[in-house]
Amino acid sequence: MSQSLAMRAAAFGSLEPSAGSPLTRVREVLDVLADRDVYGDVLTAVRYFPAREAQWADFPAWVHGDLVAAYVAKGIRQLYTHQAIAAEAVQTGKNVVVVTPTASGKTLCYNLPILNSILENPDTRALYLFPAKALAQDQLAELYNLNQRLDNRFGVFTYDGDTPADARRAIREKGHVVLTNPDMLHTGILPHHTRWTRLFENLRYIVIDELHTYRGVFGSHLCNVLRRLRRIANFYGSDPQFICCSATIANPGELATRLLEKEVKVLDANGAPAGEKTFVFYNPPVVNRALGIRRSYINETSRVAQEFLKHDLQTMVFANSRLQTEILLTYLQQANPQPPGKQETIRGYRGGYLPNERREIERGLRDGRIRGVVSTSALELGIDVGSLDTVVMAGYPGSIAGTWQRAGRAGRRSGSSCAVMVASSSPLDQFIVRHPDYFFGNTPEHAFIQPDNLEILINHLKCAAFELPIAPGERFGEIDIPDICARLAEAGYLHLAGDHFHWTHEAYPADTIGLRSITSDNFIIIDVSGAPNVIGEVDFPSALIFLHEKAIYIHGGQQYHVEHLDFKERKAYVKQVDVDYYTDAVRYTQVRVLEATDTCSVSASAASANTHSRGEVLVRSQVVGFKKIKFFTNENIGDGKLELPENEMHTTSYWITLERSLLESLPYSVSERQSGMFGLLHALASVATLLLMCDGRDIGTAIGERPPAPDTGLSSVRAGQAPPLQDARSEATNDFSPSRLRDPSSSNVKEFFEPNLYLYDAYPGGIGFSEPLFHAHNLLIHQTRELIAACTCNEGCPSCVGPAGDLAPRSKEAALAILDRLRG
Amino acid sequence: MSASADKFSRLAALRPVRLAPPRPVALRAPDQEDSLAHLLGAGVAKNQFGEHLAIRNWFSTPEFSEPSAVALELLSRTRDTEITRRTRVALGDPAKWLFLDTETTGLAGGTGTYPFLVGIAWWDAGGLQIEQFFMRDFSEEHSLLHELAARVAERPVLVTFNGKSFDWPLLDNRFTMTHSISTPRLAAHLDLLHPARALWKLRLGSVRLVELERRVLDAPRLGWHREDDIASALIPQHYFDYLRGGPRDPIVGIVRHNQMDLRGLAALFGKINTLLASQEADREGVDSLDLFGLSRFFERRGDSDRAHVACSQALDFGLPAEFRPRARRELAMLAKRRGDHAAAAAIWLELAADSQDGVLACEQLAIYYERRAKEPARAAEFARLGLAKLQRMRAHSRDPFAAARSTRLAEKLLIRINRLEDKLKARSANRAAPNLSVLKSRAK
Repeated sequence: MSQSLAMRAAAFGSLEPSAGSPLTRVREVLDVLADRDVYGDVLTAVRYFPAREAQWADFPAWVHGDLVAAYVAKGIRQLYTHQAIAAEAVQTGKNVVVVTPTASGKTLCYNLPILNSILENPDTRALYLFPAKALAQDQLAELYNLNQRLDNRFGVFTYDGDTPADARRAIREKGHVVLTNPDMLHTGILPHHTRWTRLFENLRYIVIDELHTYRGVFGSHLCNVLRRLRRIANFYGSDPQFICCSATIANPGELATRLLEKEVKVLDANGAPAGEKTFVFYNPPVVNRALGIRRSYINETSRVAQEFLKHDLQTMVFANSRLQTEILLTYLQQANPQPPGKQETIRGYRGGYLPNERREIERGLRDGRIRGVVSTSALELGIDVGSLDTVVMAGYPGSIAGTWQRAGRAGRRSGSSCAVMVASSSPLDQFIVRHPDYFFGNTPEHAFIQPDNLEILINHLKCAAFELPIAPGERFGEIDIPDICARLAEAGYLHLAGDHFHWTHEAYPADTIGLRSITSDNFIIIDVSGAPNVIGEVDFPSALIFLHEKAIYIHGGQQYHVEHLDFKERKAYVKQVDVDYYTDAVRYTQVRVLEATDTCSVSASAASANTHSRGEVLVRSQVVGFKKIKFFTNENIGDGKLELPENEMHTTSYWITLERSLLESLPYSVSERQSGMFGLLHALASVATLLLMCDGRDIGTAIGERPPAPDTGLSSVRAGQAPPLQDARSEATNDFSPSRLRDPSSSNVKEFFEPNLYLYDAYPGGIGFSEPLFHAHNLLIHQTRELIAACTCNEGCPSCVGPAGDLAPRSKEAALAILDRLRG
Repeated sequence: MSASADKFSRLAALRPVRLAPPRPVALRAPDQEDSLAHLLGAGVAKNQFGEHLAIRNWFSTPEFSEPSAVALELLSRTRDTEITRRTRVALGDPAKWLFLDTETTGLAGGTGTYPFLVGIAWWDAGGLQIEQFFMRDFSEEHSLLHELAARVAERPVLVTFNGKSFDWPLLDNRFTMTHSISTPRLAAHLDLLHPARALWKLRLGSVRLVELERRVLDAPRLGWHREDDIASALIPQHYFDYLRGGPRDPIVGIVRHNQMDLRGLAALFGKINTLLASQEADREGVDSLDLFGLSRFFERRGDSDRAHVACSQALDFGLPAEFRPRARRELAMLAKRRGDHAAAAAIWLELAADSQDGVLACEQLAIYYERRAKEPARAAEFARLGLAKLQRMRAHSRDPFAAARSTRLAEKLLIRINRLEDKLKARSANRAAPNLSVLKSRAK
């Protein structure tokens, strides 16, 4: 870590701040933090980014004079170069994706050419898609402002679930620009396209903002919604052009091309100015080195934020959950009591606050009355609160793009700012904070989608048939349409009349298909402590793990005891309790390889013989019981058996096969080797989520015996769900007792002969993770090794191979040894 | 009101005496193997878009019911005066009327729901001529819509039961989706759902057409029954089964069901027409609840006079006990509205005595004594009584909405009490020192 000290020195050496400026105060705070960092392992990175000058360009000559005047009146006399380039590309009819950091004026990139086109031809229509309602509201304000300056020459409306029924008619007729979200497009607009004739006949532009949020399941759905949208647009004789905006990810062009299924031009220059910025990684000090336990990152976040506030720097604190938001808010408000007769200077901001209160907070931040705000990701995306002096993040936001977006909240276009990321002890956070180059180098984050996931695609094909009969020769993704349609006809959904397939079902298909997950099969959670009250909703697979009978379900910091799980009605009845334990589902998972699509063998020597593959698998899992675990001590204080239905899923997977010769070459006992493999799998899953930019829940893990030959029969396996990524630490057994892992010394350990380590897509049909993982095999192995090797714990901790208590001694060593052999 | 009634009678006088004869459209006899067409007694209609089945029947019941000017005026009254004027003119000619009802592949609406059977009917030769268009498959939709558009163009006044929000928008969708047949323009659209709801919801609870037929229209007397009627909920599935080569018999049942819906619709118009046009003396034997419903309908359409008459009559006929306070309240409000405050107060006094439901009466009396009778002391008394009743009621209530409502009401009453007490104080102060204000004003 001495390196970071050197960096710190270098960073400061180059600065010559004037006294009293924000930078001086930022520096004072950093000095305080550095003084506390006795061992030099807390501030793991201090990076300085110098200010960047704006690069200007004139408004293109084709822009309508009135529009230029409107912008000039708003104070925009000139464009940044990237805005001019983007507007020019749109004007020439190209589909574009604009990649720029926060606060670089990206909305102008699409508003300028679109509004211009509406002024030239008032029939023009445009549809803006935002991933969240709040973002649409914010854009609406901007467009209203411009519209006023243009004598309200165009109609601009949001159309979402909150739009009153009597306003909808006017919006359909008069909205030149309609702001909505993919969900509303899917359930509210496309199935009623006949009411939107005006819009569809004249639809020239579709704007997709925050493109990078459409990855995984959501992105795969969106791609299909866009297929449907284009179908409808074509029916009304239009062929809209797409303008996308994305935060920085590794593959914006690829993502956009995949989503739009069209050629897309990537524009990633940035002409916006930026003030100088310091970015700090803060790893809370270790309090117990052997167990790898660090000081609470929530408390540390509060300390850091308080230091900034003390130096009169306007500060925004990001937390990853609502509960943490409230805790941090409490700490900071206690430290900064409300001045008598004045407003509270520290405020919270999250979903669940009323719109008026939010607007008031946004105003307070802009005019500086509010000195500090604690927020969830609600403030991460383009809501206008002006720019603050510093940002402190409690925990890694989960992706590099997201981290930069949050960090971008600090930093006026001129002046100085600072962003601090305080790491939690999760493997992801620890990896990032100890590998600053991974973060600050070129972003390795790729966004993947799999729109041709059969389950997703068929659902949207149903919606498409509902919207318009399917004509012969139509294309919809990469499937054989006539074949699938014939099968849907057999199932009673479609009917072939003439040469078109028509929808023949009473149901309204879009209503049963949610875009944010694959299955619409959700359980609702009903609190029956008092008058019945619905407190939440979880998807089917999670329900089995978290909501089985007698489980302790934690929601909003409150514990609930599950009284009854009504499987048929998809309801869980819970009661508030206050107990000192939590429950942990025990489930077993079997993975069976159906077909290996790609295989790559490495056998430089017998001791390193291994194979990695990807392909289709069948995953069977069942929750068979649960354990009651005491808080803090993690003692097992009771077991229970459960009889829940088996869950079967056909998906795609990436797996590593360890050959017999490799295992035998390891100088460890059988149980150490076994335990090492579980630890390794734990770490592999952590790193995979990092590379795939996905959530821990998106990847399932299992270990199983390699079948004698691929696709011949079921392999008898035992497996574990990726542990700390999910709160439910589940183990699975087949012919082993569940306690085996916790008691590695037991003698009846049966060893795997040639184990497969599976990382599978935790969605039926797969969501496209296995292929990139297969190709990134070397990177995955390399970074997993880095993660484990860099961890300071002795025998494993939640940040690397899993908590030491769950593993045999020397598991960490064994995992490292396997990795070394995998590296060849 | 009377002026527009005149207008209607004038329009009626201008109307040709004979109804226009239906335009003959040749139907081809179905092929021998088309067993469904034979079962239905249908012919094959053909036009440039293709073919579909058409079924024509004339029924002597329901008999033609001459629309009364009063009924038309009331039924066409909406907030939008522009629409109303056009509607009135169009409605004046029953030869332009077209009853319409569809059977569809679902109730969800949207672009994936198809009306596969469209039934239309019009008055003819004193009875009802029905024509039904059936598509044997989705490929016959365009020819069906083309035919329908022609019929609607001939008779552009649509009469439906819930067709304003369901059948017609659905058909509008279908027309739009053809890209080639534009939606025919309607001169007027009369939907009987809302009037029927106002009139009979109180007595029947549900105003489904079947229910109305049985209990309002006395269907057996009209000459038809629904004993072997098909369940509406099963209609989409029957059609889907038929499309996939399933049984044809249910289709016959659906066609009959649709016929009866159309006859029911026409008869329903007759019933509403008679009821709206009836004078007080004609209403012997009408159910008291229906009269109360009638008064509510009049009241909603802004005809307080007729509402008052019907409401008093309902009470005279012996309205069931649970509806009496409501009717009396209505009567009091109607009296207040036409300026007969004393009559209203008399009713409120009776109602206030009723401990069950006297809060509103007390409030109204407080208003009456404060504003009209100028007796603040009595007004305050009633406001306090109202508040006391309210608090007693609140102690028993668990419904959160009711609680919120009563909180608002309590606030209003408190404000009134305070104001009245101030008034009373000021008055007694004036009495005690009558010259004070005079002195003050002089001092200035």
